[in-house]
Amino acid sequence: MDIFTALFWIVTLVWFFVSIAKDNKKTVNALKMSGGMMKGMAGEILAILFLIGLIMTFVPQDTVRHFMGESNLLLSTIIFALIGCITLIPAFVAFPLAGSLLDAGANLVPVVAFLTTLTMVGIVTFPLEKREFGIKFTLLRNSLSFVFAILIALIMGVIL
Amino acid sequence: MIKIKQTVHNNRLLTVVILIYMVLAVINPDKAGQALNGSLYYVKEMLMIMPVILVLTSLITAWVPRKTIENSFGSGSGVKGSILSFLLGSFSAGPIYAAFPVCKSLLNKGAGISNIVIILSTWAVIKVPMLLNEAKFLSLKFMIMRWILTTVSIFLMGFIMSKLIKADDIPTGQLEEKEKNGDLSINSACCMGCGLCTKIAPYNLGMESKKAVVLQSVCSEAQQIQVLEAMEKCPAKAIRNKVS
Repeated sequence: MDIFTALFWIVTLVWFFVSIAKDNKKTVNALKMSGGMMKGMAGEILAILFLIGLIMTFVPQDTVRHFMGESNLLLSTIIFALIGCITLIPAFVAFPLAGSLLDAGANLVPVVAFLTTLTMVGIVTFPLEKREFGIKFTLLRNSLSFVFAILIALIMGVIL
Repeated sequence: MIKIKQTVHNNRLLTVVILIYMVLAVINPDKAGQALNGSLYYVKEMLMIMPVILVLTSLITAWVPRKTIENSFGSGSGVKGSILSFLLGSFSAGPIYAAFPVCKSLLNKGAGISNIVIILSTWAVIKVPMLLNEAKFLSLKFMIMRWILTTVSIFLMGFIMSKLIKADDIPTGQLEEKEKNGDLSINSACCMGCGLCTKIAPYNLGMESKKAVVLQSVCSEAQQIQVLEAMEKCPAKAIRNKVS
């Protein structure tokens, strides 16, 4: 376990015990809620984690480098941003997926674009958003998010 | 048999992946082993961070006074409102669609367009437990950089949207409501399936295909109290109960 994870274990556990001591029932109830949420996502999370292994085995690194590498950076960034818009996977597993792509030699920029649009732009949730906030709001928010996702990705590419 | 079918239906992706592994194990066991090994590394890493994130999310839900934050909207426009929105989004749980009804109710309380955009975007991209996960699987530097850039973008977006969208562009009130089982209903599109309500009000609410459903309408005072508590605790504000 790396220091980072260990540190968070310690901080969280201390908070947890303080919380239990202060209000037992409240703590247990909150735990049940996030436990239930996690149970709902567990199947999807496991599926994607095992999919990562398949991808790493069957998609050669050269292919990853070719499609997500230096050449055609803008095009691949836009394509991955678009993939992020239409997929609905928990952000939870998006990070290991992104990590494995980077390890396989993908360029940072398309990966960041994918991560940002994945959560901020929602084609699948579009009808829901439209029902609550109207078409103009929804269209504008999603398009702005898309543009900013690409900008964030490009700046990340320059800095890191 | 029905139960198995239900389980498979609820975990379609996992079923497909398992089938691929099974086929692969027969035609090319070497590759299957290799893929399994690669995945196990991520599963192991995930198991190390997942319990922390789970507990942390619960603690945030329990101790961050969201009610107080929500109630101080309306008057709190300007910088204070923006910061409150940012905090509300950062310390929330669940996917973006769970934020829609929450934001809608804030809008009715008088929150401005820019604040709604800030909550929605923060809720979606930079929730605290997710940042932890990002730092673990990518890197601390990566997470901090993306956090800074995203935060700046979100405030810019809030500003742009508030200039372009007027209050009357947004539909008011509740649209069609399908009232099943009398007065109690679930906005199942926004339910994130945490199952909290079924534990608080087990007589009236149950789970079906990862979503809460109404089992029966409220028919006693004790049930009424439970349902009211469930409505208040629901993180997506997806339970409706029309008092006639």
